[in-house]
Amino acid sequence: MDKIMIVMRREFNAYFNSAIAYIFVVVFLVLNSAFFMNTFFLTLTADMRGFFGLIPIFLAFFIPAITMRLWAEERKLGTIELLLTLPIETYHIVIGKFLASLAFLKIAIAGTLIIPIMLAKLGTPDWGPIIGGYFGTVLLGGFFLSIGLFVSGLFEDQISAFILSMILCLFFLLVGYDFIITPIDGWVNGLGTFLKQVISMKSHFDGIERGVLSLKDIFYFITMTGLFLTFNIFSLEGRKY
Amino acid sequence: MISVSNLTKIYGSVVALDKISFKIEKGEILGFLGPNGAGKSTAMKIITTYIAATEGEVFVDNMDINKNPIEVRKKIGYLPENSPVYKEMNVKDYLTFVARARELPPEKIKERLDWVIQATGLESELRKDIGELSKGFKQRTGLAQALIHDPEVLVLDEPTSGLDPLQIIDIRKLIKDLAKEKTIIFSTHILQEVDAITDRVLIINEGRIAANGYLQDLKLKAAAYQTTFLSVLAPFKEVEAELKKISSINKIRLIEKESSENRTSLKITSPANKDIKEEIGRIISLKGWQIISLFDRDFSLEETFINLIRKSKSQGEN
Repeated sequence: MDKIMIVMRREFNAYFNSAIAYIFVVVFLVLNSAFFMNTFFLTLTADMRGFFGLIPIFLAFFIPAITMRLWAEERKLGTIELLLTLPIETYHIVIGKFLASLAFLKIAIAGTLIIPIMLAKLGTPDWGPIIGGYFGTVLLGGFFLSIGLFVSGLFEDQISAFILSMILCLFFLLVGYDFIITPIDGWVNGLGTFLKQVISMKSHFDGIERGVLSLKDIFYFITMTGLFLTFNIFSLEGRKY
Repeated sequence: MISVSNLTKIYGSVVALDKISFKIEKGEILGFLGPNGAGKSTAMKIITTYIAATEGEVFVDNMDINKNPIEVRKKIGYLPENSPVYKEMNVKDYLTFVARARELPPEKIKERLDWVIQATGLESELRKDIGELSKGFKQRTGLAQALIHDPEVLVLDEPTSGLDPLQIIDIRKLIKDLAKEKTIIFSTHILQEVDAITDRVLIINEGRIAANGYLQDLKLKAAAYQTTFLSVLAPFKEVEAELKKISSINKIRLIEKESSENRTSLKITSPANKDIKEEIGRIISLKGWQIISLFDRDFSLEETFINLIRKSKSQGEN
């Protein structure tokens, strides 16, 4: 546990040692708020439907930017050699890096709490979906972070890591939409439906976002996150051979 | 302390290491010498558990590195090639991070930090980001990081590459000082470096051991012939005719830029372990010529190195 914390602390501080972190948080907040305000003034309802409806798309673009450097930079600089010859188990390092990126994401998400505060001043929002929405956002964020972390470990180049992570995140998001699924079903009968029901994050996120916390949905996100973290550990161990 | 047997590493179809075996006793310094791409770094990466061998075994302090990687890593301080460091961290934070990750108890961290900072001469750079440091200080930071937990074994991959001559002398001196209580493997492609730090050397070439032993022994082994230089006041033809009478001379070559009509300078090659100077001197004094100089020359380190590598190559081809 101590080892995980040591790795996590270094990794977390690394975000704030460069300007990228600050730029990232500002852009994330400005875009999110801008899109939200747009719909807010149109519908004039004190809820965050529009916000949580868009958050998966935002995360699919922003999270690869958080994770792209995590391993790619270590590989490029060669520091991976030092890190992996420290007396720390590989899975401790992977979890440490994951938790650091999750902590950073939580800071960015915490910045959007200004919206529910504003809603509370202006009206009487239904808190269930809002709390559920934030909970789901963190779960989904964790899942996308684990994808990004895994992909970052495959590249020396951060841009390649960014692009492939983004594609993977978008894949898990888009296979939840019928306009994507129907043509896939047309090519291979049943494949599209399978992707939508089993692989896609959309139905699971929608459930939590409505304020319905079902174990099945939580289980989906935790399993997928664990799966990609395990892939990351295996790919690092496999590098030895 | 370190025992390597039949170590083989194959990358795809490239054999980076081909069954190398060697041992290093506690307190020894071993110079790992070889041309670029000979397999030095690969061997070091395996010993430090960064990569796994295709075949063969490595024991560090009687522990199998595959079965006990974490315990082995605790005993080793490692400076990888080019001294990679986190550029965005400052020196002190970086060393503190490594100290924590190396499980130093908090009360000891300050003491060890002070020691490595002093030993590597980093006092003035502590608050600077590593990315801003000069190459020499970056290298020292890498070395400090390898020393922070006072390891029994130090593995240093090209510790002086890219440094200026003064920095090189400093780092060599530091390595020598450390050697009093530690087992050290360092690699280099410069033979003088080995000579300046230690006399125990392992030469590898194309993944095989070309030579393993003490530098003095290797020099003898490599020197198949010796070279004698003669300068005498006499015409070349006459000198040559006289010298041809000495049976153990293989080759006589005129050094033209040092010769004139009346003066002959020669480079004479003869088998090693036969001193031909006496005989040359006798012949020349019989003829009554005046000798300006007569001396033979030790094999330079470079020649030793090149000879050993050539020998191992031709053995490999046979």
